[in-house]
Amino acid sequence: MSKSILLCDDEPHILRAAESKFRRSGFDVRCAYDGEDGWTQIQERLPDIVVTDCQMPRLDGLGMATRIKDDPTLDLPVVMLSAKGFELSPAELEEAYGVLALLAKPFSPRELHRLVEQILETGHATPAPAQHVLDI
Amino acid sequence: MKFKLKWSDLPVALLAILTASFACSWLINLSLGFSFFARAMLLGGLTAVSAALVLRAVQKNSRKEKAIHRFIEVMAQLDPRELSDNVPHEALPHLKVDNQWYEAAQKLHHRIQENCRRLEDVEHARAGSEVRVRNLEGEHERALGILTALPEPVLAIDDYDELVLTNSSAEELFEIGSVEQSDNRALGSLVRCETLVNLMTDTRKHRTQSQRTGDIVFVDDDGEAKYYRAICRNMFSKVEGEGEDEEPKSTGVVAILNDVSNEKAIQRRNAEFVSSVSHEMKTPLASIKAYVELLADGDAEDEETQDEFLEIINGQADRLQRLIENLLNIARIEAGVVKVKKKAQSLNEVLEEAFNVVQPAAEQKGIELVNAISSIYIGVLADRDMLMQVAINLLSNGIKYTSPRGTVTLKSRLDDDFHAAFEVVDTGVGLSPEDAARVFEKFYRVKKHSNMAPGTGLGLPLAKHITEDVHGGKLTVISELGEGSIFRATLPSAQELNKS
Repeated sequence: MSKSILLCDDEPHILRAAESKFRRSGFDVRCAYDGEDGWTQIQERLPDIVVTDCQMPRLDGLGMATRIKDDPTLDLPVVMLSAKGFELSPAELEEAYGVLALLAKPFSPRELHRLVEQILETGHATPAPAQHVLDI
Repeated sequence: MKFKLKWSDLPVALLAILTASFACSWLINLSLGFSFFARAMLLGGLTAVSAALVLRAVQKNSRKEKAIHRFIEVMAQLDPRELSDNVPHEALPHLKVDNQWYEAAQKLHHRIQENCRRLEDVEHARAGSEVRVRNLEGEHERALGILTALPEPVLAIDDYDELVLTNSSAEELFEIGSVEQSDNRALGSLVRCETLVNLMTDTRKHRTQSQRTGDIVFVDDDGEAKYYRAICRNMFSKVEGEGEDEEPKSTGVVAILNDVSNEKAIQRRNAEFVSSVSHEMKTPLASIKAYVELLADGDAEDEETQDEFLEIINGQADRLQRLIENLLNIARIEAGVVKVKKKAQSLNEVLEEAFNVVQPAAEQKGIELVNAISSIYIGVLADRDMLMQVAINLLSNGIKYTSPRGTVTLKSRLDDDFHAAFEVVDTGVGLSPEDAARVFEKFYRVKKHSNMAPGTGLGLPLAKHITEDVHGGKLTVISELGEGSIFRATLPSAQELNKS
């Protein structure tokens, strides 16, 4: 049985790129254009993992992650994409919002795919080592 | 010891003369055996001569006494300042050298002159001091006036942490009365700002010449925050009478509060702007990077998908280019780098040209573009290219947010008050009051409708900047959610400019 993934982003091209990557890898992919839409789809049919953008209309990624974390019946890993920096460290982000991995935009669909596979297999994510940290 | 005869001594002197004459005549009579007549004549003669001598002596003494009395009386009546050195004043009576009070009178004269000189010195010093006091009072008043007029709140405390000075800005900010009329001057109880109180007392305790600064935030009753940067410095003064080498002593602390709310707002806006630019650039970049990687990894399963991905890459690259161009345009116009070439020209001609530019996009989307440009000549003093940019931006915006089969109308007119106006009226999605209020902010995009069309969130801010800041006009929006929008640009017409 194929693994299911819910992708949430208000940018259709980003959604299309991620959808293409995961569909090619045999995932059952569903897409949502904002947090509210995503939350509705989670309640209709529970995916194995959620990949969500942070900034979205109506309900943003952190809001949706909080709802997932606060629901005791849900054990759903969340990966977040963001074009903005976070004041919270990855550990704090996991503690406060239950977000297992944060991927900065522009992101690599390949890296996103690797992270998702790793989380589904091990239950945790090891982010790729940061590159060009000192390139200013 | 010299004996001086006075009028009061005269009876005693005459009695003494009479007794002495009687005794002399008796002795002479005893020894010479004069007759009674001769004795009487001798006694009378002696008495008369003695009395005459005594009377002369008394008269002489009396004249000297009168002279000295007169001298002293006149000297007492004279203004001491009129007495000059060594030259007797013309009003002073002449005093003979043989007068027994001559020396004393001269000493008195000199002493009065000396005291008079001292008095004059004291008076000069007092007059000088009065002038200095008046000058200092004037300077004090001026300094207080300047201090009061300062928009920056200023406070000063003494060595006991008691307020010694506040200006009206400080009194208004801390809602306190003037310290001059207050019995309670304790800094901690009057100034309800722990950060400032601690900063001032710490500065006083350290007594260094260097200043200390601290940031203070006040939130008023309406919840509006005001930011101040407090600069505290010890006040030093030299104590009079101490040597040059003595270190000046600290007499308290003065604090000046600079209102940095505007700087903070600019910093916040800059941070938001950079964040927005970063976000807006990252979004198309993320798409380009993702699709390039998908193509490189062979994730596009067929040629059709490959073409789709390439088209997306191309579209996102265009979006990035538009964003950069708009950013540069706004930056150039705001910085005044772009030379504005205003000329009197026909508004309708510019609008016709803009209409023709956007018509293909409207047709492609199935939107009816209606030309309701006025037939009368409307002259405006404007930069043609910039005005065209405004019209294109407003028309493109209307086309973007109007669904197929909708209508976008371009109108122009000359108002009764000689304002040239043009409107872009659409039957599109419309704006909520909240969105309408923010639609001219840079990078603000109505999230709910952002999927309708690509956009940078810079087209409307650029149009507003050109209309209002460059041309002195007005760009407004009237809109209702679901009912469409009217963007109205008003410009001073050439007629209006000629009139003024």
